[in-house]
Amino acid sequence: MKDETAKSPPAEEPPPFGSSWNVLYALVLAWLAAQVVLFYLFTRAFR
Amino acid sequence: MRPLDWAVLLAALAGIVAYGLWKGRRTRDLDDFLVADRRMRWHHVALSIMATQASAITFLSTPGQGFTDGMRFVQFYLGLPVAMVVLSLTAVPIYRRLKVYTAYEYLEGRFDLKTRTLAAGLFLLQRGLSTGVSIYAPSVILSVIMGWDIRAVIFLIGGSVTLYTATGGARAVDNTNFQQFLIIMGGMLVAFFTIIWTLPADVSFVEAVSVAGKLGRLNAMDFSFDLKNQYNFWSGLVGGCFLALSYFGTDQSQVQRYLTGESVTQSRLGLLFNGLVKVPMQFFILFLGAMVFAFYQFTAPPVFFNPVEVERVRAGAQGAQFRALEEEYGAAFAEKERAARAYVGALRAGDDGAADAAALGLKSAQERADGVRAGAVELLREPGKRRPDDTNYVFLNFVIHYLPAGVVGLVFAAVFFASMSSSASALNALASTTVVDVQRRLVTGDRGERYHFLSSKLAAVFWGLFAITFAQYAGQLGSLIEAVNRLGSLFYGTILGIFLLGFYFKRVGGTAAFTGAVLGELAVLGCFFFTEIAFLWYNVVGALVVVATALAINPLVGGKAEDSRQ
Repeated sequence: MKDETAKSPPAEEPPPFGSSWNVLYALVLAWLAAQVVLFYLFTRAFR
Repeated sequence: MRPLDWAVLLAALAGIVAYGLWKGRRTRDLDDFLVADRRMRWHHVALSIMATQASAITFLSTPGQGFTDGMRFVQFYLGLPVAMVVLSLTAVPIYRRLKVYTAYEYLEGRFDLKTRTLAAGLFLLQRGLSTGVSIYAPSVILSVIMGWDIRAVIFLIGGSVTLYTATGGARAVDNTNFQQFLIIMGGMLVAFFTIIWTLPADVSFVEAVSVAGKLGRLNAMDFSFDLKNQYNFWSGLVGGCFLALSYFGTDQSQVQRYLTGESVTQSRLGLLFNGLVKVPMQFFILFLGAMVFAFYQFTAPPVFFNPVEVERVRAGAQGAQFRALEEEYGAAFAEKERAARAYVGALRAGDDGAADAAALGLKSAQERADGVRAGAVELLREPGKRRPDDTNYVFLNFVIHYLPAGVVGLVFAAVFFASMSSSASALNALASTTVVDVQRRLVTGDRGERYHFLSSKLAAVFWGLFAITFAQYAGQLGSLIEAVNRLGSLFYGTILGIFLLGFYFKRVGGTAAFTGAVLGELAVLGCFFFTEIAFLWYNVVGALVVVATALAINPLVGGKAEDSRQ
C-alpha cells in the first residue's frame, strides 16, 4: 500500500445540505457552544 | 415481570435476531461481510455508531449517576463533537481513499508492518476482553434484580449476537444496530414520561426539577480547572476530545461503522450527526436519573438498591444493626419528604424567603439521610473489599417497582439491545482485524476471496465464544474486571498518537513512531500508577508524548525513508 496521504486530495463532493462542508462543521461546533451556554444557565437556574 | 413484559421482551429479542439473519442473508463475499459492500446511507451509519458506543451499562449506569452524583457526567462528552469534525476532515477521506478494511492497514502503508501489528494487537487484546465484560456487566445486574440465572443471560446475549454477526457480518450488524438504537431511545423516552407521570399528583414537573436542583443533582456545568476531577468542562472538552478521536478514529469497532458508508459524504454525515445529538442524548439520560432522584424525594427509597446485597447482610450477623439503620433511614426520609413539600409549597406561594429557608431544611434532611445510608453501606462492605456501589441498580430497581406492565418489558429489551449492539460491532471488528491484519497479512498470505470470507465468519464465531466464556468467568476475576474496563483508557492515547503522526507529520518514519509509542505507553502507565490525574487526561498525555518523542528522535533514526514501505 502506498502512502496516499501525501497526495493532494481529490475534489470533494459537496454536502447534501449547507453550502459547504465548512458550514456543516461550523454548525456542529456552534451547536456545541450553544449547549455549553444552555447547560451553564440550566445549572445556575436550579442551583 | 408480568406476562405482558415477557411478551414484549421475548418478541423484541426474537424479532431482532430474525431481522439480523434476514438482512444478512445476502452477505456473500468479504467486502459484504467486513464493510457491507460500502452501501450504507448516513442515517444507518450514524445510528450504528451511536448504538456501538452506547453499551447496556450506558443505559443502566448513566441514570444511576444522575441519581447519585448529578448531571456533571454530561461534560465527559463535550469533546466528542470536536472530534467528529476533526475525523470528518482527516480520517474519513484517508480511509475511504485507501479502501482499507481496518484502520490498522493504513499504518503499514504509512509506517511499517511492526507499527500496524502493534496497533492491531492492542486492539484485539483490549476489545476482545472488554466485549466479554460488556456482556457480563448487564447480565450480572439483570440476574441480581430479576433473580435470573446469570449463565443463561450471558448465553442469550452472546449467543444471539454471535449468530447474526457470524451469518450476516457488517450488513447485519449495521441494520440491527439501527433498529436497536431506535427501540433503546424509544424505551428511554417512554420511561422518562412514565417517571413524570408517577410523580405525586400535588407536585408538578417543574417543582420536582427544582427539588432535584436544590439537592445538587442538576450540576451540568463546572468550569473549575482540576486535573484530579474526572468531570468538568476542561477535562471533558480536552481529554474527552482526545478520547473520542482515539475511539472513533482508531478503534476498529467504530471505524468499521463509517467504512460501511456508501461515500465520503455518507460517512461524514454519520459522524457529524453523532456530534450533533450525542451530548443532548447523554443530557437526557442523566436528566432521567435526576428525575428518578426527584421521585424518591416523595416516595420512600430502599437504603441500598442492590437487593441481593441487602438480603445477604440482613441474613448475617449484622442483620439487626442493618434493620435498625433501615428504620432510621425511613425516619430520615419522612423528615426529608416534609422538607421537600414545604419547599414546593413555598415555591407555589411565590415566597422566596420561605423557599430559601425550606431549601436549607431540605439539604439538612438530605445530609442526615446520606449519613444513615453511608452507615448502611459500610455494613454491606465485606472484609478486604471495596465499598459496594449500587449506582448501576438504581434505574432497573425503579423500573421493576414503579413502571407499568409493557413499559418494563420495553426497558428490559432496551438493555438487552444496548448490550447486543455494542457486542455485535465488536465481534464484527475483531473478526475483521483477525483476518485482515493477522491471518491474511502474517499467517497464510492471500488465499483468495472465498477462503478469507469463510475465515471471517469463523473468526466472528471464535470471538463470540471467547466473549461468552470470558463473561462466564468474569465474576471470579474480582478487581481484574476493573482493570479490563480501564484498559481502553491506558492504550487509547498511545494509539491516537501513532495515527496523529501518520495523518499530520509526514516526515516521521516507522521506527520513530514505534519508539514514540513505547515511550508514550510508559508515560500513561506512569500516570496510572504514580499520579492521581483523572483518566481522561491519560489520552492527552499518551498522544502528546508519542508525537513529541517521535518528532525529537526522527532525525536521529533516519526519518521516513528508513523503513516506510513507499
